[in-house]
Amino acid sequence: MGTLTIGCFASLVGSKSLDFSLKLAKAALDKGHKVNIWLSSNATIMAKANQKHLKDYSHSEKYVRELLERGVEICECEACALARGIQKAETVEGVEWSAMHWYLAKIYNSDRVVHIGGE
Amino acid sequence: MKLCIFVNDFKTVTDTVERLSAEKLGLIFIQNGVFHATIKENGKSSHLLEKPASFYVLAEDLATRGLTDADVDKRVKIVNYGDVVDLIFNEYEKIIWL
Repeated sequence: MGTLTIGCFASLVGSKSLDFSLKLAKAALDKGHKVNIWLSSNATIMAKANQKHLKDYSHSEKYVRELLERGVEICECEACALARGIQKAETVEGVEWSAMHWYLAKIYNSDRVVHIGGE
Repeated sequence: MKLCIFVNDFKTVTDTVERLSAEKLGLIFIQNGVFHATIKENGKSSHLLEKPASFYVLAEDLATRGLTDADVDKRVKIVNYGDVVDLIFNEYEKIIWL
């Protein structure tokens, strides 16, 4: 089995790329791989707690909690989050906060990398 | 190099894809990119399907757009998320997202 690092820069609603990254992460876990997720730019909204799950609306908090419970390391770009007014206390417990070096280190130690661009 | 490209849009990415080549090339159509696997404009299918590559389309993104297996061009293989993971790890080395 291998290690997959997913970097996601896309926003929560609209582009569906964030949904894709979560589903890909889950599928890789199901196949026995290790997964890391780096959230940057608009994707930092994904780790915000207390998301209301509206019908037909992208909703990631449930996924984030499930993935964390299954051992996925999820890290937010601190600068991107703060720039969007997201404070660490507001994020889902277990999501790390760091800078780009976290992502680079994961990339360096991964078998495969999928970098999902933003809008 | 074994290169895999995620094509997640229909219109805006084709010029980049056209320029890319590799020892082994795979195109995975997802989100609105699935229309490359199904649409026929003026009776002609997507010119991306002319590339010397293997083609895959994500079943879930077909379904959310009301498309069925019958709509998919014969050159394209229908895959699910688990298959995509296997493709990433076993068939290709580098991955691009367009």
